[in-house]
Amino acid sequence: MGFWRRWRVRIFLFLAVLGPGFITANVDNDSGGILTYSQAGAQFGYTLLWTMIPITLALIVVQEMCARMGVVTGKGLSDLIREEFGLRMTFFMMILLVIVNYGNVVAEFSGIAGSMQLFHISKYASVPVCAVIVWALIVKGDYKSVEKVFLVASVFYIAYIVTGVLSGPDWHRAMLETVTLPPRAVWRDKTYVYMTVGVIGTTITPWMQFYLQASIVDKGINVKHYKASRLDVIVGSIFSDIVAWFIIEACAATLFVHGMRNIAVPSDAAGAMKPLAGDFAFILFAAGLFNASLFAASILPLSTAYTVCEGLGFESGVDKGFKEAPFFYWLYTLLIVLGAGLVLIPNFPLVKVVILSQVLNGVLLPIIMIFMLKLINKHELMGDYTNPAWFNWIAWATAAIVIALSLTMLWNQLFGG
Amino acid sequence: MSKSGNKLTSVSALMGVAVADSAGKTLGHVREFAVSPVEDANHVQGLVLRMEGAGRRERWIVPIADLEVGATGGLRVRGEGTPRAMPEHDSYLLLERDLLDQQIIDVHGHKVVRVNDVEMVWEMGHADDRTSENSHPYAAPQGTLSLRIAEVEVGTRGAVRRLLKGLPLGTVERAANRFKPSVIPWEFVDLIDRDPARRVRLKIEQDRLAQMHPSDLADILEELAPAERQALFTSLDEEIAAEALEEVEPKMQKALTESLDSERMAGIVEEMDPAAAADFLAELPEERSEAILEEMDPEERQEVEELLEFSSDSAAGRMTTDYIALHENALVADAITALQGFEGDMETLTHIFLVDEEERLHGEVALVRLVLAKPEAALSELTDGHIVCCDLDANGKKVAELFDKYNLRSLPVVDDDKKLAGVVYVEQVIAQLRMRQ
Repeated sequence: MGFWRRWRVRIFLFLAVLGPGFITANVDNDSGGILTYSQAGAQFGYTLLWTMIPITLALIVVQEMCARMGVVTGKGLSDLIREEFGLRMTFFMMILLVIVNYGNVVAEFSGIAGSMQLFHISKYASVPVCAVIVWALIVKGDYKSVEKVFLVASVFYIAYIVTGVLSGPDWHRAMLETVTLPPRAVWRDKTYVYMTVGVIGTTITPWMQFYLQASIVDKGINVKHYKASRLDVIVGSIFSDIVAWFIIEACAATLFVHGMRNIAVPSDAAGAMKPLAGDFAFILFAAGLFNASLFAASILPLSTAYTVCEGLGFESGVDKGFKEAPFFYWLYTLLIVLGAGLVLIPNFPLVKVVILSQVLNGVLLPIIMIFMLKLINKHELMGDYTNPAWFNWIAWATAAIVIALSLTMLWNQLFGG
Repeated sequence: MSKSGNKLTSVSALMGVAVADSAGKTLGHVREFAVSPVEDANHVQGLVLRMEGAGRRERWIVPIADLEVGATGGLRVRGEGTPRAMPEHDSYLLLERDLLDQQIIDVHGHKVVRVNDVEMVWEMGHADDRTSENSHPYAAPQGTLSLRIAEVEVGTRGAVRRLLKGLPLGTVERAANRFKPSVIPWEFVDLIDRDPARRVRLKIEQDRLAQMHPSDLADILEELAPAERQALFTSLDEEIAAEALEEVEPKMQKALTESLDSERMAGIVEEMDPAAAADFLAELPEERSEAILEEMDPEERQEVEELLEFSSDSAAGRMTTDYIALHENALVADAITALQGFEGDMETLTHIFLVDEEERLHGEVALVRLVLAKPEAALSELTDGHIVCCDLDANGKKVAELFDKYNLRSLPVVDDDKKLAGVVYVEQVIAQLRMRQ
């Protein structure tokens, strides 16, 4: 009896704080993420599956620090950066963040356009409608109900797991490739290295850190429930990477096996899958893409507006009116309108915009990682919750690897052609 | 720019400015602005310098009174003055560290804002001669220099000034002045500090907060991060803490009071309206609420304990025992005396209730009628003739219906023997109706 009771209490506690970590990790599998994973599977088959375990660990390490800072200080990451590193640094970071996130918003809307085109719906219909839905969801709804909608949207990622099963993979090989490093010869292939960097780069992004910490603060999670919050982060990271694993695996089992190596936009993968894995797998893959894009398109503009307003001291929050928080609403609205609008311009070089935002991503992420590590080790701020020494080793090592990879990617994009 | 433009300065403008000795040799650069709130909260006492050639961590302080401002805006130590080593202990408020980029409470606009810059004024003359500042010409040879903190800049103007710092001063000012200033006068600024002990040590003033309406104070508490919120709440005096506590949400009530011991809590609960106190205690774990009740004054404790018995949706759970009831033969003069001795919240009172020896309710007199009546008039002559009341177990819907139907502002609650048990006030009904939505 006592045992059950204890567990029941624990489960309830977990459900009460569940949300921020789980949602953030899932939004990470957005349209850009799906594109990268599809390319990885289509070009290299199962041989990139090994990256999933280290990526999951890195994701947990980074996200856990944000969650901890949010729970302990009750302040958002941009607040803390402003208080500790001053206005200039914050201003510079916020400008970069707006540009990076704008690029991401464009990518999400093009994901919406692409996935709906697979169902023969014109982008001139789907994109404006979705933009209005996204805008209204936040402006007219309240955070609690919005969070529930997001949690439900997270569940739809299971579509990818089903697609992965339907694609009829070589289970034994897929599992084996997940736990073993690839032969050394592959590293001589430049595109393979490039793809590895891409997979890791798409998983840990600047905006996630701001969003996760802000939504934990918003939820008002108490230090006492920090353990449950940590579990939320861990479960979310693992689930999101399982989904990523299945996307790579599904593309490996179908596109790679049949020699379809070139995926330019995420909807290509779904289209190519249709004759190979059947209608059902196609529908799931396309619907999954739509869900992921719409989901991320609702979160990114909101998260950006919040972060920027907090850092620079403008009034923010959906519980305030347009008149009280004009900058917040303008930024939010412009991100959506310009993001959706760009997708609707015929023959616009969208890919270039997305690549530019990834380049800036590479500039921004190292700064944020270093700031995070400095902040979390400040005793005045974190009290007893600073990093223990062993964790600092892991965290700095993770940061160093992520920074090195971001810079590699940056180098490649600037000079590699 | 005019004469006043010369006198104005700001933290961002002075930061990094060189300070020379009387011979004109650079001593060091301005790094901080030390205010000693215990002595004078409105003036900067000294500039903290990083001395030329000294280590990064070494800090020296030079009193403002030992300085003079040169014709070009440079700072120079006068005659004999020399900087001395900055004392280690933390008795100073440092404007750059404690104010710039931090959150403060705008007591007048009652919200939490972030500081972009601090505006200051160079003044000549004695510290107690502040009012006549305009009659002194700038940089007059006689008198001593002081640096008054004028206002805190929270808008774009201050932000622009800091972002462009490093460019020539004139350019920065021209760019910054294109934006409308958004300032909070220094007397309306309340600092937030995570450490309650430091708040007390620095005498961060509480009476500024006391000027605010409890509901606004409650909003501010809800807006702050946990550590700051806790520090602020702990430093409030019992009466203000009680009023603010009544206004915050139950979840926040719990969080705010968690770290306080039962004795201090009892002091706060005693100051609360009994109905609100009962609602608050009902939300706490039983052990905790028992411990708080234990520490309370017996009389107030009994009142609260009685209310605790009732379900929160019944009229009894909503009512308060803060009301005035007099014998039906009482005179207007008696009512005035009773009002003078009333300890509860004066503003909520709308009626005086009339009861017999058995405490059975017989009538009510609107307070307005007392004003118009002679002191020797009997209260029973001033009643409306009819009286609306409800039972202890009337539910919230029923109570709301009565308020609506009879346009009430307060509703007496009677027990089974028709004895007056308490009063439900209109704000309780509004709160309940809003909760249901």
